[in-house]
This record gives sequence, structure tokens and C-alpha cells, in this order.
Amino acid sequence: MASVGVASAGQYNYDVVRKFTILALIWGAVGMLVGVIIASELAWPVINMDLPWITFGRLRPVHTGAVIFGFGGCALFATSYYVVQRTCGVRLLSDGMASFTFWGYQLCIVLAALGDVLGFSQGREYAEMEWPTDLLIAVVWVTYAIVFIGTVFKRKQPHIYVANWFYMAFILAVALLHIFNNLAVPVSLTKSYPVFSGAQDAMVQWWYGHNAVGFFLTAAFLGMMYYFVPKQAGRPIYSYRLSIVHFWALIFMYMWAGPHHLHWTALPDWVSTMGATFSIMLLMPSWGGMINGIMTMSGAWDKLRTDPILRFLIVSLSFYGMSTFEGPMMSLKDVNALSHYTDWTVGHVHSGALGFVAMLTFGSLYHLVPKLWDTGKMYSTKLITVHFWLATIGTLLYITAMWISGIMQGLMWRAYDDFGNLQYSFAETVAAMHPYFAMRALGGVFFLTGMVLMVYNVFMTIGQAKSAPASGNLAANAA
Amino acid sequence: MSQDKAQAQQQTTGHVWDDDLQEFNNPLPTWWLWTFYLSIIFAVVYWFFYPSWPVGKGFLTGTGTITYKNDKGVEKTTHWSTRALLMKDLQDARESQKKYLDKVAALPFDQLKTDPEAFGFVASAGGVLFKDNCAPCHQSGGAGKMAFAPNLTDDDWIYGGTYEKIQETITNGRHGIMPPKGGADLNDGEIDSLANYVLSLSGEPSDAAKAKAGDELFHGKGVCFSCHGPDAKGNKDIGSANLTDKIWLWANVPAAGTAEKKVEAVKAVITSGLNKGVMPSMKERLSAQQIKLLTSYVHDTLGGGSK
Repeated sequence: MASVGVASAGQYNYDVVRKFTILALIWGAVGMLVGVIIASELAWPVINMDLPWITFGRLRPVHTGAVIFGFGGCALFATSYYVVQRTCGVRLLSDGMASFTFWGYQLCIVLAALGDVLGFSQGREYAEMEWPTDLLIAVVWVTYAIVFIGTVFKRKQPHIYVANWFYMAFILAVALLHIFNNLAVPVSLTKSYPVFSGAQDAMVQWWYGHNAVGFFLTAAFLGMMYYFVPKQAGRPIYSYRLSIVHFWALIFMYMWAGPHHLHWTALPDWVSTMGATFSIMLLMPSWGGMINGIMTMSGAWDKLRTDPILRFLIVSLSFYGMSTFEGPMMSLKDVNALSHYTDWTVGHVHSGALGFVAMLTFGSLYHLVPKLWDTGKMYSTKLITVHFWLATIGTLLYITAMWISGIMQGLMWRAYDDFGNLQYSFAETVAAMHPYFAMRALGGVFFLTGMVLMVYNVFMTIGQAKSAPASGNLAANAA
Repeated sequence: MSQDKAQAQQQTTGHVWDDDLQEFNNPLPTWWLWTFYLSIIFAVVYWFFYPSWPVGKGFLTGTGTITYKNDKGVEKTTHWSTRALLMKDLQDARESQKKYLDKVAALPFDQLKTDPEAFGFVASAGGVLFKDNCAPCHQSGGAGKMAFAPNLTDDDWIYGGTYEKIQETITNGRHGIMPPKGGADLNDGEIDSLANYVLSLSGEPSDAAKAKAGDELFHGKGVCFSCHGPDAKGNKDIGSANLTDKIWLWANVPAAGTAEKKVEAVKAVITSGLNKGVMPSMKERLSAQQIKLLTSYVHDTLGGGSK
């Protein structure tokens, strides 16, 4: 761990990285709390107290916005700004522009949440924000692209490190997706109509929706993985060749997979087939990242026994492998006929979101925080271990509950009796799901508790840094 | 794995980032590469059977076909498509249920009940209709809810429990109204007396003197008898309740712990009257055939009767 260049503290812009790191933790705690609330509302609807602002329909996009764009997004900003500086050996292109991306992005998240709660929504999943917020996001995002790519351009290293390819693909793709999916004609400050209509509109939305998963929640987090796994393991990446092949295959395949969200709808059948087959072909390119991450551990497996940070990283890759296997299976039309519109989808998303994205972020930020505040290590390693188990148990409770609930729901919907009539009414399927709704909420409580421990641990670490550096000495610690 | 050791000895690409980030250059894992090829082959085969790539203004239709009869009975064969698949499923369902539906249409209610096959269908299809359309108010077993929706499993029928009356109720809906204080000018003492009389009719504890006064009010100044009848047994033609049985819908007498609370429960209904007993008309929502199925289901599996 002696490798962290202390002298570099001044060379690099850590200020913006620190800010994004703290906000990632805050949005994470808020978003997961809202998640627990809406999971509980589904199990016990009385909790919403008949207040429109906190009903499931309005809080659900608050939850997804806060965890994906708040927690995930801020973690990506933080790690990408950190990684690009350290692997290019130069400071960010512009401190002012970086600072603008920070404040602008936070404003976007707050505006998005306010819009959701007050009932202003485009009704597009993961893109609920109305046009003024969308415009602000576009400006922030283009600035982000300029800062990141500009920094890559002025690098002192001859080669661009693999993590930066993934971050760049993510930044470019998200800009493209965001702008096209939100093309709309405003009629007032809070209302607009999309330029697309009917099946085309649905297709554009799910081209966006699926690639939000593909580029925001996958490619970008693989970028994070490619830096923090080898750093934490102290081992070289397993295969450069594999990283190139799976990068290009992943980028190419993902763009086509969106239609699998619209099987058995008015979408033309040929489009549906394209979505299914490209999802199947996406399986191995996805696994390339998992293999490269896990095989990087070769020769360092013993570290898993003692290093909970590494455990977070490696378990996250296992969940990644599992959900990227499950996804292509669910994209097949016949499997989708059972799984679509059920809790199975919700479980699938969360095995990726909790198991992969969040766990990887936890591991990476635990690595990052002591570097940013120059404390050498986290305040408490024991708390990291506790967090690891809370997160793992929470994730398993969540996805197991949703698998049972979702498959049961799908089977009940299609159950016919001997006379060719439906065997169950919709209300009966909902009643049957109740125990699993409660189990899911419990899983969420576990996961949230872990998140709160992390916030505590990080703030205590920062506290240590504050008391130390006054007397100053970064150099003294370096030895 | 012995391979691992070999890899560990292997050379990196020679690039170093951020002090210690390096990359080995291991070959692509064979199983990974072949599974990738296999998934591509799978996709190509899939494209062969199902509609796939767009070509010109159309698309490759694939070799799979579906033959179905449309709702006009014309047989059609098309390339595989979700719409044709739906048409075929609907056709299969129509054909498999035709013999039952024909019987339901042909047989009168009393014969439907005695035909095992037809009645099995009534119990199945009627159950689905009931759970989707009636259970939200009358509850999934039809037992109703106090002060909200009547119990359909007993033999007490507000508007009549014959097939014809039940069918009429489902088709047109019902709206029961009782004016506050029965439309008469009653003071609190008089309402108290009436409540005691009503309770005495069902054998509930009551004040004998007040009940006697209530009897006179019921048949006199209060004009209660004009709807509930001189014998207080109600009138099914207008949906006025039988007050002499132990079945309560609006005044929750069974749950009232003490005699005073029972009086209070009845007084509350007399004082404020009733205007909330609304059963919606189902004729816009269900077909005549569905209403017939539901009628048979309610009458013969829940609790219809001649009364």
C-alpha cells in the first residue's frame, strides 16, 4: 500500500473526488431508505397514510433516481475523476468545469426527486425528469465528457488504461441515450410531449432503459472494477487481450438488446427477435469482465480471508456473473412470457444492483476514502466486515424473495383449470406474494443498515484525517 | 490449477500505470471463446426460424408458421408472429369452452344445477367472474362485510334470492335508500324507543316499556311500517330489510358488547338514514352470458333461495 504517491495530493484534483464520494454515500443512504419504505408500502399499504407525495408510485422513481443516479452516479464521477488522473498521470482538464459538474449534477438529482414527489413526470422509467431538468443534465453531462476526455488527451502515459475505455464508453453512450430518449416538445415548464409515439416511443424508451443498465450500471462499473480490483489485490490484470475483446463485444452487443423489454407487445416481432438474440450473444462479453476481475486474484486468493474490501469486490463480480447469466435467459421469448411483469424482473435487477453495482462501489470507496483523506486505512476494518455480511445477507434475502414471488406470480397468472378458466384472480396472486414482500423489505433493512455503518465508518475516517493533517504531516505518514 | 503458476511467471504487456497497475496478456479462455461462438450460432439459428433482420420494406420472416382461424372462422397461415399466436390461443380456448358455453346458453337455471358437467363449468367460470367483479365488496368467499356489503352465503335476500331476482340485481344494480328518521319528525326519546322496539323484534335485550312505545311509533307517527311492513319483515320489492331476524347489515348489533351499545348502533342508523347501499349495474361490464353464469354461481354455490 506504500504505492500511493503522497506528493501527488497536490498534483491531482482530489477536492471534486472527495465531494462526489461524500454525496455518493449520502444519496446511497437516502435512496436505500426510500427503497425500504416503498418495499414496506407494498407489503403494508397503510404505511403511505393516503398522502399522495409518499405513495409507491411517486417514491419509486425517487428510490431509483437516488440509488442509480445519486449513489451510483456520484460514485462513478468520483472514481472516474480519480482513476483518469492517476492512470493518465495528469490533473483534470479544468477544476472549474469539474466543480460545475459536481454542483450541476447534485442540482439535477434534487430537481428530479422534487419532480417525482410533486407528481411531475414524463412517465419514462429512469427518465422521469421533465425537460428543464433534462436540459441541465445534458449540459452537465457534456461538461463531464469534456473534462474526462480532455484529461485523457493530455495524459503523460503513452497508453490509455482499460478502465478509461469503459468510463469513456459510458460517458459517450449516456449522452447519446439521454438526449435521444428525452427529445420532447415542451408545452409548459412542467409538461412536455415526446417526439416519438406508439411502439416507436416505447422502443426508444427501452433502448434508453436497457442501455442505462448496460452503460451506466455495467460498462462504467466495469471501469471501476478494472482499477480497484487489481489495485486492492496488488496483482496485474489477468488478460489484456480479453479486456479488448470483451470491451468491444460488450459495447457492440448491448446497444441492440433493448427490445427484450418489450416482448409480446405491439413491437414488431423481428425487433423482438433482435433483442433476444443479441442478449444471448451478450452473455460471454459480459462474463469477460467477470473472468478478468476474478482471475486477477490468481496467486492472491489468500487475501480474501483477511481483506473485507477485496471480498466486496470479488463477491460483486460473482453476483455480476449470476445476473448477466440470468438476463439473457430472461430475454428469450418463452422465458420472458413467464417472467415479464412479475417480481422476477425486480429480483433480477436487484441481484445486479445490490449484488454487483452497490457491492463493487462499497469495495471501491473503502479503498478510495483512506487515499483521498490520506489516513492510510479506514477507521474500522471490523465494521467493513460487518457491512460485508449485512450486504450479502440483505442481497440474498431480497433476490430469493423475488425469485419465489416472481415465479409463483407468473405461474399463478397462467394457471388454468380443467374447464379452461383462470384458476386464480389477480387479488389472490397479490395475497400469495405478501410473505415475500415482507421478506424483501427485511432484506432491504439489512442492506440499508450496512450502508449506514459505512457512512459512519467513512465519517469517522474523515474525522481522523482532520485531526491529523493540522499538524500536518502527509510525508510522515508515507513511510 | 497448475496453469495459474505458469501464468504467474508470464510477462505483462510492459505498460505500467499509477505506480503498479499492470496487465498480463493471457490468451482468451478456450471455454469462453467457444461458448461465445456457440451463442452466435444460436442467434443465427434463431434468425432462421423466427422473424429477424429487416430487408427493404419488410423483414426476413423465418421458416416457422402458425395456422389459425380468425374470429370470422376463416383459416389463415402466416409466418410466426405473436399476434397469430394470440389468435390461435383464443381460437383454441373458444373451441375448448364451446360445449360448456352452449350448455349454459341452452339450459334453464334449475337444469344447469343438476347437469354435472355444466355445473362444474358454472363453478369454475362463475368463480373467476365473482372473484374479479364481486369479491372487492362481497369478499372472496361472498360473506360480505358489516355496514358495507351484504352476506351472499346466507338465505336472507334483501331484494329476493330467486334466480330471476339475483339476475336482475346483477344486471341493473341496486340502490337502497332510507330517509333520515324514516322521513318523520322524531325526537331523540322517540328514536330511542324505536331502537328498543327493533331490538326486541330480534330477541335482543331491550327495555320493555320503551319497546312498547316504539311499537306504537313504528305503526303510527314514525310510518316505519310503510316500508318495512306491519309485521316488520321487510319488502323485497323495494329492498327494505327484515327487522325480525338476527341478520344485521348496517347496525353492527352483533359486535356491540352491551345493551346500551346495541341501542346506540340502531339509533345511529335510524337517525342518519341510509344512502350508501349502492350495488353497481354490471350490464355495461359483463355480457348477458357472463351474468347468467354469475347468477347461477351466486344462487347455487353461495346461498340463493326461493325467498
